[in-house]
Amino acid sequence: MEFFSPTDLLGSSPILALGLFSLIALLVNAFLKNSAGMVFYVSAVGIFVAIGCSIYTFPMNATAFSDMLLVGGYASFFSVLFLVIALFSMFIAKPYLEREQYHYGEYYVLILLATIGMVMLASSADLITAFLGIEMMSVSFYVLAGYFRGKLSSNESALKYFLLGAFATGFLLYGIALIYGTTGTTNLLRIVTMYPQPFNDPLHIIGWGLILIGFGFKVAAVPFHMWVPDVYEGAPTPVTAFMSTGGKAAAFSVFLMTFSVPMSMRDERLMTVLAVLAAASMLLGNWFGLSQTNLKRMLAYSSIAHAGYMIIGIASATPMGQQGIAFYLVSYALTNLGAFGIIAMMEKENGGNLNYEDYAGLGKRKPALAALLAMFMFSLTGIPPFAGFIGKYYLFASAVQSHMTWLAIFGVITSLFSTYYYLRIIVYMYFKEATNHEEIKLPGLTFATVILCGAGIVLFGIVPSLIFDLMKSIF
Amino acid sequence: MEISPVIEALIKIIVVIFFILLPCVAYLGVQLERKLSAWIQNRVGPNRVGPYGLLQPLADIPKLFFKEDIVPAAANKFVHSLGPLISLTIAFSTFAVMPFGDTLPIVVNGVVHNISLQIANVNIGVLYVLALSSLAVYGITLSGWSSNNKYSLLGGIRSSAQMISYELSLGLSIIGIVMLSNTLQLNDIVKAQSGYYLFGFLPNWNIFVQPIGFITFFVAMFAETNRLPFDLPEAEPELVAGYHTEYTGMKFGMFMLSEFLAMFAAAGMITTLYLGGWQAPYIEYLNLSPFVVSLVQVGAFFTKFALIVVFFMIVRWSMPRFRYDQLMNIGWKVMIPLSLLNIALTGLFILKPIHTWFN
Amino acid sequence: MNMYEIIFYFFAFITVASASVVVFSRNIIYAAFSLLFTFFGVAGIYVLLNADFLAITQLLIYVGGILVLLLFGVMLTTNTVNIDIKSGSMNVLAAASVVAALAGLLGGVFWTSDWFVSKQMGELPAQTTSKEIGTALITTHVLPFEIASVILLVAIVGAAMMARREGIKSQIPSSK
Repeated sequence: MEFFSPTDLLGSSPILALGLFSLIALLVNAFLKNSAGMVFYVSAVGIFVAIGCSIYTFPMNATAFSDMLLVGGYASFFSVLFLVIALFSMFIAKPYLEREQYHYGEYYVLILLATIGMVMLASSADLITAFLGIEMMSVSFYVLAGYFRGKLSSNESALKYFLLGAFATGFLLYGIALIYGTTGTTNLLRIVTMYPQPFNDPLHIIGWGLILIGFGFKVAAVPFHMWVPDVYEGAPTPVTAFMSTGGKAAAFSVFLMTFSVPMSMRDERLMTVLAVLAAASMLLGNWFGLSQTNLKRMLAYSSIAHAGYMIIGIASATPMGQQGIAFYLVSYALTNLGAFGIIAMMEKENGGNLNYEDYAGLGKRKPALAALLAMFMFSLTGIPPFAGFIGKYYLFASAVQSHMTWLAIFGVITSLFSTYYYLRIIVYMYFKEATNHEEIKLPGLTFATVILCGAGIVLFGIVPSLIFDLMKSIF
Repeated sequence: MEISPVIEALIKIIVVIFFILLPCVAYLGVQLERKLSAWIQNRVGPNRVGPYGLLQPLADIPKLFFKEDIVPAAANKFVHSLGPLISLTIAFSTFAVMPFGDTLPIVVNGVVHNISLQIANVNIGVLYVLALSSLAVYGITLSGWSSNNKYSLLGGIRSSAQMISYELSLGLSIIGIVMLSNTLQLNDIVKAQSGYYLFGFLPNWNIFVQPIGFITFFVAMFAETNRLPFDLPEAEPELVAGYHTEYTGMKFGMFMLSEFLAMFAAAGMITTLYLGGWQAPYIEYLNLSPFVVSLVQVGAFFTKFALIVVFFMIVRWSMPRFRYDQLMNIGWKVMIPLSLLNIALTGLFILKPIHTWFN
Repeated sequence: MNMYEIIFYFFAFITVASASVVVFSRNIIYAAFSLLFTFFGVAGIYVLLNADFLAITQLLIYVGGILVLLLFGVMLTTNTVNIDIKSGSMNVLAAASVVAALAGLLGGVFWTSDWFVSKQMGELPAQTTSKEIGTALITTHVLPFEIASVILLVAIVGAAMMARREGIKSQIPSSK
């Protein structure tokens, strides 16, 4: 009896590697005393092995487990992205958790398990695997958001995220059920071959609408964004770094993949809905970002706005838009990880040192740190030569290509709003006198990670072809 | 003369309840338990009503009926009355799928009618039993809660925690059997236990094929039925009488009845799943007529059944009660890993049967 | 109306009626309790659809597992009887308009959809579905099946982490 083909095992090898190492890490954590550091190394090794597997499968172009998983190309590209994000967020987390005296092995295990969910999402060719991936990722996030068990804000964050997330998952599941009911399959590759016939069925359209709500929640698009500020603010900073980059990237990878099915029709109604969603996210995210005083909250609203920019790429339904999203996710992940890494280093106990004022005079106190943070803010704004600019350029260009020029103009205008609050932090750092002269400790691991992120956004900003060449073979 | 399936099922239900279960409860349950406990504790036991006290149960039942029915003032009246009813209904329902025997050939006007000695031959009998055992929590929890008494509530919550924990190892131990017999139908599971195992004389019962599964199932059944040493829900020194503290009269009687029925259901399930059910070994060498064979098989079922019940009682009167944390530790850290091990071993032996190991 | 339809409407009525008790009851215990009957009704409908395995699983998991936990939660958080925890209504106007819109949408879809109607409803041969489901779970759907188990692992790890006592530095005032 032959149960698995080599493609099955190879295709799922990143998942298998992560699963294996998370189990090893769990056992190490359970049976050795004071093993958090050990768990960290085991998890890091696991991520490296999984990165190796993903890169190895990149040239393959196949499906595994009876068309449940995509292998190679798209899946590998995003898997590597998630794995790097997970690794970087672990690097940020280790010194932070040690400082907060909350250093337990479960943290890394949950990061690994969440990453399994993300890899599943990027490789899912079936709505069932997509749903399971989302669940796996979200359940880990719920727990991680409440990781500081003794802190009220962390508890609030976890509970809010959990309740609203479970609600959103209900919509997603309902949508999947309706699509299954109208097509008789949950497999995206099979559904797409049935088009345009299922689109005559209103149930089918409602199914996609409900799935859109579910994904909209996960990528934090308006009007499903209510949870974002409180959750991002309350969760431990490294967790926020991980959620806002990895979680968003994973949700977008499955959003893009899944909606490439109904968008293959280039249905005007659906395109308009997505465009409105994008416009609303850009507007509200940037608008509320203006009035924030807390950096974590500001980045939460900025994350809503960036979700809006990326939805443009889905709404335009062109290869350019898809490539734009993929590139944007890379640049956004690096930028946000860097920014949250700096916030994690600056933060004091019990959520102190998170406001704009606390960053006053940073340009003199820690010039390197201030320069890096300035770079990240420039990249988020979309100023060349940083990677954020290229990503935005591609997304807006794709909107123009799809005859949605108004959306591109809207995007540019809202970006102008955002310059205010992104550049404000730079003003504080360089043009205000320091009020706080406490010593700032820069843990080597986090600082190195932040430097890597900075180098990444410069590199990809100057030589974007490094990524776009890869993507020619994907899309 | 054709009997419609509905009437046939009704007749079977009446026979099972009034001619099997109720006498069983009265004599195998109440009377035997009292006599046995007396014997174990070196007492005499009931000996006043009738010869050797044999009419004692008949005297007990009217007593229960005529006692005053007290509902505590602060209780939730509706749920308070519903609790015992739920318990009793669920306790009776298990017997719907119990195979008491194979088929009984009855000759009417020269035509042979094969009457199946099982009320309902459900395709997924095993799952049905599991589902019922998980429903049994409700009667206890609801009555414990509705009594509005802290002892009752604690008893109810303890029992649900206990039953939920042990349900896992219960279900997991059965999986081994389902893997071997390839069916969820109880009668087919019994049929799969025919023939002989090893050396050609040991009957092919699951107790010999699945010893680990048998142990975990047996222990889990004790816990599920809330019998000593697992009777924490009604631990007298701590909880007065647990969830039925606030019940009197026939409502209390219903709890008694459902407890005995749960024990009988457990014994019946153990017999069916592990002791070959109605299989009587070596009977094919005796050349009996099919009718007699069928009767012998029913007898075999009840013999095994009664032995298990007696074992249940001996355990009850000779073992001390577990502490609550011990109970949970055994459930989660011993029983579940053991039953998982059993599944793995079963899979291994199915992949490579034992007779192929040495050649 | 044949026997099949009568039974269907019976279960449908139980489901809908008890579900509305769940929604409208102000006593949270009654709400949790009548959920029991909702699950029963759904299980009954599964049986009518010849999905015997699904029906029993519904009972095992929802009634035997999830609802027990729900009742646990309710019982342990309320003062047994005469409870203070009530489910109230707020934002009535906003909720009503959203519900009306949703109901209109669903109603519209219900009337315009082309429903699949089986001719021999109720006369389908009684067959066991557990075998097919079991086979599918270890062949074509083996990946989701395994991943679901990993999700349970995540939940267990998370629950254990959230609940463990050691090393907690609480800023939450204790309840005493």
